[in-house]
Amino acid sequence: MSVHVFGIRHHGPGSARGLQAELDRLEPDIVLVEGPPDAEGLIPFCSNKDLVPPVAMLVHVVDDPRRAVFYPLACFSPEWHAMRHSLQHGLPCWFIDLPQANRLAEPVAEASGEPAGDPRTASPRMDPLTYLARAAGLDDGEDWWGRMMEERREASGVFDAVLESMTALRSELAMELDRTEARREAHMRQRIREAQKRGFQRIAVVCGAWHAPALNEMPSAEKDDELLQGLKSVSVTSTWIPWSHDRLSIASGYGAGVVSPGWYRHLFTCSSDVEVRWLARVACLLREKDLDASPAQVIEAVRLAECLAAMRGRPVVGLSELDDAAESVLCQGNPLFLRMVHDRLIVDEVLGRVPAETPRVPLQRDIEKRQKRLHLRAKAEERLQELDLRKETDLERSRLLHRLCLLGIDWGEEQGVRGKKGTFREVWRLRWDPELSIRVIEASVWGSCVEEACETRVRHEARSLKELAELTRLLDRVLLSDLSAVVTDIVQRIDELSAVSVGMLELMDALPPLGKALRYGNVHRTSHELVAPIVDALVARIAVGLPGACASLNDPAATEMLSRLTHVHQTIQLLKQPEHGRIWGQALEKLVRQGGANGLIAGRSARLLLDTRSLSSAEAGVWMRRALSRSVPPAGAAAWIEGFLGGSGLLLLHDLKLWAIIEEWIEELSTERFVEVVPLLRRTFATFAPAERRQLGERVRGSGVAAGARVSRSPSTPFNAGRAAEALPLVAKLLGLELPPGDEPRG
Amino acid sequence: MPTVLRQAAEVEFHEELEELAKWDDRERPPSWRLSPWAVATYILGGKLSNGFEVLPKYIGSRRLIEIAISTLATDRALLLLGVPGTAKSWVSEHLAAAISGDSTLMVQGTAATGEESIRYGWNYARLLSEGPTRSALVPSPVLRAMEEGRIARVEELTRTPSDVQDALITILSEKALPIPELNQRVEARKGFSIIATANSRDRGVNELSSALRRRFNTVVLPVPETLEEEVDIVRRRVAALGRVLELPGEPPALEEVRRVVTIFRELREGKTGDKKTRLKSPSGSLSTAEAISVVTSGHALAVHFGDGQARATDLASGLFGAIVKDPVQDRTVLEEYLETVLKEREGWKDLYRACRELL
Repeated sequence: MSVHVFGIRHHGPGSARGLQAELDRLEPDIVLVEGPPDAEGLIPFCSNKDLVPPVAMLVHVVDDPRRAVFYPLACFSPEWHAMRHSLQHGLPCWFIDLPQANRLAEPVAEASGEPAGDPRTASPRMDPLTYLARAAGLDDGEDWWGRMMEERREASGVFDAVLESMTALRSELAMELDRTEARREAHMRQRIREAQKRGFQRIAVVCGAWHAPALNEMPSAEKDDELLQGLKSVSVTSTWIPWSHDRLSIASGYGAGVVSPGWYRHLFTCSSDVEVRWLARVACLLREKDLDASPAQVIEAVRLAECLAAMRGRPVVGLSELDDAAESVLCQGNPLFLRMVHDRLIVDEVLGRVPAETPRVPLQRDIEKRQKRLHLRAKAEERLQELDLRKETDLERSRLLHRLCLLGIDWGEEQGVRGKKGTFREVWRLRWDPELSIRVIEASVWGSCVEEACETRVRHEARSLKELAELTRLLDRVLLSDLSAVVTDIVQRIDELSAVSVGMLELMDALPPLGKALRYGNVHRTSHELVAPIVDALVARIAVGLPGACASLNDPAATEMLSRLTHVHQTIQLLKQPEHGRIWGQALEKLVRQGGANGLIAGRSARLLLDTRSLSSAEAGVWMRRALSRSVPPAGAAAWIEGFLGGSGLLLLHDLKLWAIIEEWIEELSTERFVEVVPLLRRTFATFAPAERRQLGERVRGSGVAAGARVSRSPSTPFNAGRAAEALPLVAKLLGLELPPGDEPRG
Repeated sequence: MPTVLRQAAEVEFHEELEELAKWDDRERPPSWRLSPWAVATYILGGKLSNGFEVLPKYIGSRRLIEIAISTLATDRALLLLGVPGTAKSWVSEHLAAAISGDSTLMVQGTAATGEESIRYGWNYARLLSEGPTRSALVPSPVLRAMEEGRIARVEELTRTPSDVQDALITILSEKALPIPELNQRVEARKGFSIIATANSRDRGVNELSSALRRRFNTVVLPVPETLEEEVDIVRRRVAALGRVLELPGEPPALEEVRRVVTIFRELREGKTGDKKTRLKSPSGSLSTAEAISVVTSGHALAVHFGDGQARATDLASGLFGAIVKDPVQDRTVLEEYLETVLKEREGWKDLYRACRELL
């Protein structure tokens, strides 16, 4: 009976390769892996051809999917190969780490809300390596380990050396293990004892290098028992989720990450000519970016890399030599070029896949089904997807994306459409972050298929929302997601809220999104009837309440109201409902007539009425004259003009009567009052386009009305019939006409 | 004491080169005087196992020097790029001295550099009397390097006209130079290579064609990364130059060197050392080489006209000259810097006042 401990580095290609060889040689009858026993049920999936690394084992608390841990595995992870080996040879494979059921039961230590990373990083494994690196004359433990272990092409005897050096380190440092660490190692030892008790003859133990000495020498079982007492536990469940290389890299903040997943994958998958293939790939990527990188340069780069490795006393060419060579030969010394291909090269954007049968939450399965049907693959890299909502598939895609957003699964982000106008187009920026898998699990509390989950969640949200504007935004999204079943719920809720809502501004804010929803309704084929009633009710409420709300507004409040007024008006114009137009018109008219209304609002109301032809120009003139009459304070009159003109002088240029009224008013002003009004008027007129201002100025200079009249006068130049006749034949020819014979040119 | 103002590297450091050659037992590429490792030790400095100390010639990234040496060891040509004053020529000279024992096979690239400086010219008197013979031919430094298997240096490659640059293409790809007049061809011996330097600020003057570029491995020499590194460089060079110029008295105190380098770095980077204040940068490149000359001239001033100790007043005039290249713009840059940064800085009052007087 023998126990063989293999100390590895998680995600180490050299370790993985070495482990493969050792397992083949040893032919163990059981494989023990440092992993959570809670996830042992996941092991059989490793032989499934649809489980493609990088993947991660996700273990989470049943009631609280936020409390979760990941065990990422890449194709170059030794654990992955240990599991595969056991499956291929029909051996039992156990996970021997302390169960997550116990570890997740401990109160969360770190304050960060992020779902904690790989629990294996908790070991102080990385720091002690620095001691070894220093002894070897290097600064960085990671670098040392990479050189000694992972970039090594042939691995016999490595594990003995690892065990020996780690034993030395642990005894030299005499580091105090924290409680969790001690318990973990105790648990691992207990499982090894259990395997021995069960009579396995050759036991292979695969664990992080740091733990190897602790598992190689067994203290008494009683001591471990003691350590493991008093463990709390929660109920956890586990599943496979797809992972990405990006999140395997140290740069992503993953503690047990590697510097370059792309390089490690290359090291593992490439059995010969490692540096040639790597540099050829660099050249290839550079060429994709339209940079010169000829095969001749690749040859030189390989030579340089090899020479550098020799100079630096490294047995094989490593990533730093390859980077240096690529920068110097292929990128002409410019590190920017290399950075351009960095992501593809070093990080190597790869997203794993999991088979359909993995124990996934039902919601996830539903989402995948839809993704498949709609040919929308979940990819790690970002891309733009343009949707033409007139097409059935695109419409469905849009609905799915909107629905996932409602569930908080932000796979896609809708982009403003640039250049292309039209309501039937949507552009989405898609990126499937592996973390979204967590969100899917979180969202699964709402239901087991997308539609159901969305509806439950929206109903819940509608009930809890107290702001009308938020509700209308929610409605907007619901309509885009085509969830007709819940529209009535929201409608009722909006009805309730708007009935009790005293804030006119809120009501007015709610209308534009609703109006937009109605208009989009055609494209999204959401039933019109569902929204129209709310809009009707809203317009009615606004129309009724508006005059009261505008009764006595100070200037800042009036300005705020003014923009809402305009938006509501636009929405009503958009909807083209005669009934809306009628009641809105009445409301506006009331505003114009209302004595106490702010000039700004009254003026704008008159203008809006004039624009919709509910008011003739003559009537508008009457209103204007009244607003500008002597009894009205000049400031109010100026505000009226500001509201009426609404940022453009065109109206005055075209309507001479209105022009005359203003001119008359100004002439009548006393000097004092004129001085008072000038700044206000100036504020109004300054917003006009320069061309308009110039024309207005010219008209003033050209003595008002007469100047306008002059333009319309017929041209005074006398008509020369003889000269005109000379041009006639040519004109006739151009137009393809026959000249009447009597009109032959004379002379 | 030599009477030459500036000795070639292989003469000045002949003792080091000899010691290295004695100590060096590793494999040497054909025609190389030293092994690549020994060349690296020569450039970067270090202590030999026999206790002999080699002075560092280049203070900076070991990685870059390794790339440069490996390039030459794989018989590729080396292009050193960098802003003015980043020790490009210095590194090229020392590389050539250590590898071939000869740093004098050098072509200075200027707008007037002709093809004959890269290929060959003729001794016209002989050409007329003897006709085209080998003895009438005047070989260029590059041709000589090819024949002898040494390193040739081309300084300021981007300043030479493009057609002259193109003459290098044949040499670098064929490693041979045809002489049609004699119906001969000179083939390069092993060990031949070219080190070219080019100013990355001048890139536009006569940018290298991609055909030529492809034949070089490029190493970009950066400005020193940290203040301490730069202070170290300036201090060492000033001390060495002081010895050559036979300046009596102590070389300037470390504190003065640090102040000059700090000013240079702050203005170059456009922000103060604590990164809190943004500054305008003057038009000059404010390289380490200029910092060295400022400190040296300050030293000389102090020795000859002062009390032998380089003080603020001695350094100020050099600083002023180095920073104010454009009389209008740079003047305001310096003035702003003086008023916003130096004035407030603890213990810099003397330098502030000395500079102020010059404005």
